[in-house]
Amino acid sequence: MTQTNWDLIRDAAADTPTSRASLEEVARRSWPAIYAFIRASGRSPDEASELTQGFICDVFLSRDLLGKADQSRGRFRTLVMGAVRNYLADMHRRRTATTRRPKHGSIGRLDDLAERSSEPAGMQALTPEAAFNSRYIASIIRAATERLQRVLLEEGDEAGWEIFRLRVLQPSLDGVSASYDEIAPRFNLGKGACAARLLVVKRRFASILMEELRATVEDPEDLQHEVAELLALLSR
Amino acid sequence: MEQQSNNPGGHAQRPDAASKLSDTLRWAFELDQSPALAGATWLTREIIPDAKDPYAAILAPTTSLDALRELKNAYKMLRTTGVTAAERSLAARLYAATIAAALVRHGTAISTQTPVALQRAFTELAEDGGMPEDLRAVASRALTLPPKA
Repeated sequence: MTQTNWDLIRDAAADTPTSRASLEEVARRSWPAIYAFIRASGRSPDEASELTQGFICDVFLSRDLLGKADQSRGRFRTLVMGAVRNYLADMHRRRTATTRRPKHGSIGRLDDLAERSSEPAGMQALTPEAAFNSRYIASIIRAATERLQRVLLEEGDEAGWEIFRLRVLQPSLDGVSASYDEIAPRFNLGKGACAARLLVVKRRFASILMEELRATVEDPEDLQHEVAELLALLSR
Repeated sequence: MEQQSNNPGGHAQRPDAASKLSDTLRWAFELDQSPALAGATWLTREIIPDAKDPYAAILAPTTSLDALRELKNAYKMLRTTGVTAAERSLAARLYAATIAAALVRHGTAISTQTPVALQRAFTELAEDGGMPEDLRAVASRALTLPPKA
């Protein structure tokens, strides 16, 4: 399955046999960014989890935010961030602590989702917008990487995936990069051929990542602007 | 989930998550729309990290024979995997240049191509006005050397 965000959002908002699964997937992808925004707004971890769950149930589901998310009306990122901001202001006014349930019943696993969105170090030091954008991009990068892995393994290119994992993903996660001298012999490649193979996979990843981002903007030509804006926000 | 080693969402687990994400997004965006030289330069730096560009790496007297071999293998693959005709064409020139540099500076043949094929590749490089003068001179010099097995 290689659905883009907007494919999922459209399906989640519709009444189809797969809309429940799409809704859960949109919630799963959006949770970390929403939580990050709320946490960076000064809420405790428990309070941020509660508010995130409340937002997902009250706004995503009950108020039919996804139904309003028309691709022709703007970027999904901006729409969600604005909705979270409004929700927090609303909650601040009401200060209610009711148990929230979506109108169509539980979508399940929200507590699991909260655990999965465990907090990155230093997040409270960010502005809510920067925290949201950081997690939003992380979720898009994760989706792109999952697609890349799926595509490469389906094509039988395990070597390509492993080289990418060891040279690109692992350094990002652990700060330790495996050398070509370690990697290349495992795949009967020389250092130069291994690097050339990685370039092909990185480009594939870049293409998938841009496709994921392109699917979240109003106009495909807005992509450059969206990337520039996200880079600027992350650099602050 | 995000703590699995192959899960990119884990990027955001690190204290410098924002800069890591920024780097990933930047290179992805650059690769998506890079000119021909960018891919070859990236490849060159994977083999010789402080290289300015492919031309400088091939021409540098400090570049070892082993490094020239690895560069040759990288450009050889880029000849077929390059995303544009310009990139594939550039890779073919760089491929020939590494073989020429190994012949001229180390007196060693690092290719199994026939003398005729090598002569043609060196001649095309020497006559390509789009290539740096120093690189073309290496190809011209290689053309004057006797073929090596």
